[in-house]
Amino acid sequence: MTLHPDYPIETERLALRPFTRGDVDAVHDYRRREDVAEYLFDAPLSREECAEAVQQRIGQIAFELEGDKIVLAATLRETGMLIGEVSLIWRSVDAQQAEIGWIFHPEHHGRGYATEAATALLELAFGPGDMHRVMARCDARNSASARLMERLGMRREAHFREHALFKGQWDEEYIYAILKREWQARQYVESPVALHR
Amino acid sequence: MTSLALPIETSRLILRSFERGDFDALCSYQLLPEMQRYLEWPVWNETDVATGLNLMRTQVCLHRPGDTLSLAIVRKGDLQLIGQASLRWSDATAGQGEVRFALNPRFAGNGYAIEAVGAVLDLAFDHFKIHRVFARCDGHNHRAAKLMQRLGLRLEAHYREHALFQGEWDEELHFAILDREWRRSGKIREMHAPRVA
Repeated sequence: MTLHPDYPIETERLALRPFTRGDVDAVHDYRRREDVAEYLFDAPLSREECAEAVQQRIGQIAFELEGDKIVLAATLRETGMLIGEVSLIWRSVDAQQAEIGWIFHPEHHGRGYATEAATALLELAFGPGDMHRVMARCDARNSASARLMERLGMRREAHFREHALFKGQWDEEYIYAILKREWQARQYVESPVALHR
Repeated sequence: MTSLALPIETSRLILRSFERGDFDALCSYQLLPEMQRYLEWPVWNETDVATGLNLMRTQVCLHRPGDTLSLAIVRKGDLQLIGQASLRWSDATAGQGEVRFALNPRFAGNGYAIEAVGAVLDLAFDHFKIHRVFARCDGHNHRAAKLMQRLGLRLEAHYREHALFQGEWDEELHFAILDREWRRSGKIREMHAPRVA
C-alpha cells in the first residue's frame, strides 16, 4: 500500500504542511544554530545547505517505496510561522515499520508543540499508514527528546553505549518504539478522562 | 590486524578453523529444525551445510572491517566438533565486533558454550583490540541470553515486533560489553577464584 496524506494536517495549534521554496530562511533560522545541531548528524547548516535541504523536502510528502520519507513543516495555525519540522521514514514495507523524528526551533520549545506534531504523525502512521511499529532514536544526552518520546507512550527499547563514534566522541544512543496496539490502547485509556469532565 | 595463532586452547576445548572433514558434524546439528531460528543463515539441506562450510573455511582471520573469523568448537580428548563460534569485525573506526555462536544441543548443559565464547571475547579484546563486542539473539532464546549475562554482557536492546521472521513477529535482544568492562570482570573472576595457599 502507499500513503498520500491530505495536507495540511491540522492539530489544535499547528498545521503540518509540505515544504515550499519560501521556507529557506525560516529553516536556516534554526538549522544554523549550534544548540540545534548538537544532537543531529549534520553540523550547523549554511543558507545554501538549507536551500538544498528545503528543495529536497518539497518532494518528500508520500510513501510509495521502502525508504521514502515524509518531511513536513510545522507551522503555527494562527500566524503561519514555521517553527520546526517533523519526519516519518518508511523503514520496512513487509514488517510495516516506520521511524519518526522532529526538530524544533529552540525559541518555541517548552510549549508542547513537538508533542502535538509528533502525536499527529503517529496518528498518520498507525491510521492511514497502517504501520505495525514506529521507532525513534535520540542521543542519550538529549533528555528533552527522550522525555517527549515517553510522553508519547513510546518504550525505551535500546540504550547503546559507545557503539559508534559521533562527531569524534563515543556515542550513546536511545531507541524508543511503540506498537500499533499500544498506541490504540492509549487512545482508549485517554478517552474516559474526557468522559468524566 | 596482526596474524593470529590458531588453534586456541581453553581448559576443555580447542577452537580451530573449519576443515573439509567437518561436514558430517555440522549436518548433525545445523539441520535440526530448532536450530533454524538461531543460525546466521537458513540451513535447509546438505547443500546449504556445504555452502556454509566452504564459506567458514575461508574465514580464518580479520584483515579488514566486514571480515569474519569462524571457529569450530572441538572437545579435547575425543576431538568431537560440538559447535561453532564467530567474531565479525563490524566497524573499524569505532572498534566494534559481533560475536555469534551455535552449539549442538546434544552437548548443551556442560558449560562448553560459555567457555568458547569467553575465549572469543579474550581474542576480540586482547588480540584484535576491539572496543566493544555485541551479540544478538532471538528474544525466545533464554539459554543464550543467560549465557551473555553470565559473561558480563549488558542487555542494551530489546526490540519487539521490529521485523518478520518466517511470517511471525520477531523479538531480538542485543547484548554488549566494552573492553574496559571485560578486563574488570576478568579481574573479578580472578578474585573469586579459589586460592591455593
